[in-house]
Amino acid sequence: MNIRQGKYYIKKAGSFLAVLIGITFLSFLLSYLSPGDPVEIMMKKKGGMVSEEVIQQKREELGLDQPMMIQYMKWLSGIAKGNFGISYKSNKPVLTEIKKCLPYTIRLTLLSMILTVLISTPLGILCAKYKDRLLDHLMRFITCIFSSLPSFFLALMLMYFLSLKLKLFPVIAKGNKNGIVMPALVLSLTLASWYIRQVRAIVLKELEKEYIDGLLARGVSERKILFHHVLRNCLTPLVTLLGISFGTMLGGSTIVESIFTWPGVGKMAVDAITSRDYPVIQGYVVWMAGIFLLLNMLVECSYSLMDPRIRRGKEKME
Amino acid sequence: MKGWELGMKRKIMSGMVILIILAAHFCRYMLPYDPFKTNMAEAALPPSSSHWFGTDNLGRDVFSRVLQGSQTSLYAALCVVAVVFLTGTLLGVAAGYLGGWPDAVIGKVIVIFQAFPGFILAVAVAGMLGAGMTNGMISLCAVYWTTYAKLARSLVLQMKDITYIQAAKLCGANRRSIIIRYILPNVISPLVVTAALDVGSVILSMAGLSFLGLGAQRPTAEWGVMMSEARNYIQTAPWIIFFPGLALFLVVTVFNLFGDSVRDGLEKKNG
Repeated sequence: MNIRQGKYYIKKAGSFLAVLIGITFLSFLLSYLSPGDPVEIMMKKKGGMVSEEVIQQKREELGLDQPMMIQYMKWLSGIAKGNFGISYKSNKPVLTEIKKCLPYTIRLTLLSMILTVLISTPLGILCAKYKDRLLDHLMRFITCIFSSLPSFFLALMLMYFLSLKLKLFPVIAKGNKNGIVMPALVLSLTLASWYIRQVRAIVLKELEKEYIDGLLARGVSERKILFHHVLRNCLTPLVTLLGISFGTMLGGSTIVESIFTWPGVGKMAVDAITSRDYPVIQGYVVWMAGIFLLLNMLVECSYSLMDPRIRRGKEKME
Repeated sequence: MKGWELGMKRKIMSGMVILIILAAHFCRYMLPYDPFKTNMAEAALPPSSSHWFGTDNLGRDVFSRVLQGSQTSLYAALCVVAVVFLTGTLLGVAAGYLGGWPDAVIGKVIVIFQAFPGFILAVAVAGMLGAGMTNGMISLCAVYWTTYAKLARSLVLQMKDITYIQAAKLCGANRRSIIIRYILPNVISPLVVTAALDVGSVILSMAGLSFLGLGAQRPTAEWGVMMSEARNYIQTAPWIIFFPGLALFLVVTVFNLFGDSVRDGLEKKNG
């Protein structure tokens, strides 16, 4: 890595940090503007009547009587040290709760991601190859259905047919060996329908290029062209889209996790919202946005790995 | 697809969209039963000739509730799309045309809002503000406005240096008339297409929020709420889940296809 590349990465890291601070500020602002008074909620959770004086004292103790910016700075410095506050409900640190649930969500999203790629890459490529033929029309119909199908409807229907009628999978995912299958299936089916179309469009564009004719003229087999040359050249846009769709998947996990009672962060957040557990919601939002941001930055950094033209172009450009 | 085929598709889809909107608006004249009236003697009846979609666990007619729900969903979604279309476009045009610090500020805010995974931002905003239809709609506005602002900004930036804008400036046209008379008409169609494409996804997100208990509340007749309420009866009375889900799916499909046909039409017009 030379100095120019170093500068490029430093600039990237700088903008990453700026957005991260923006994220924390927005998350803080949300809970600052929320109508509930945290002290009252906390006191009421413990039960019994509390006098106005005690509430006031507690507010001062927690620093809630200070101006907003000072509260934000305090909260931010806490986060930098890994202190996301204490859950109102369980009285445990928010970080502990998130750490407990996060592995489940990561496992679920990873499996769904892999499923999505395995389903949609070959299908997308084949749709492009057989453009306007039977397979293409069939897939267009199927993807159209799945992209309009609400994930919770799909989840409940799968639950009805696969769990209750055919008894293939357990209804409740938690603690079951096969429990992860259905939530992962729901997440990946919804996403794959979108991804197939993207793969198809990208591959079609690539197939128009001249080097394809060159390869064909030299007698390279179609299969090799599609799955070796074309796929490799399409890698950059495909990985970018995958990075973006990771956000959709994290969002979808809130619904799917609460339907199948999968103990991930999505379910944690929904439960926290029901019990007005603001610190947990806040921690959840910051974590999810942070993960999403980091992932997309990694995707951007991987461009030069996937495409040597970008690597060289960057050096030449500057 | 050939030209006339595209035109045909657009006409059919527009017709269906108009039909859905009319049905939703005038649904109170078509309700066979009161969608809110409970009747425990007729609880959880399967579909029959008197109750087309069956009855739910409280004996309410599912068909009437599904019909009433179309109004709730559609009004909410159209309202959200209208709000984000107006605010997003306004902010985007302002940022693109004014440049300087307004552009920098609006640009940064867009980046920060887009750093959140969409549905998670909606869940967070709705969760923090407290459950309810209005708060659910606010939360969806927070998610969707960025698309319009970003698009409008980039379109205006492309327009700014075009000769006829410069000419209008030289002729002494003021800022407002340049924006309204020369820039807006030329940037509006991609934004309208985005709005058409967004309606289906907003309906879906709203139902999702309601399903999680963050949007409409019981006993509102809303598809997401109905399905969430019926979850416990999935084994004994699956029709309570099936019909609202089917309605949601069909309406979203129609709006998505409508959006597609509007987009195809524009692409064709632009060559």
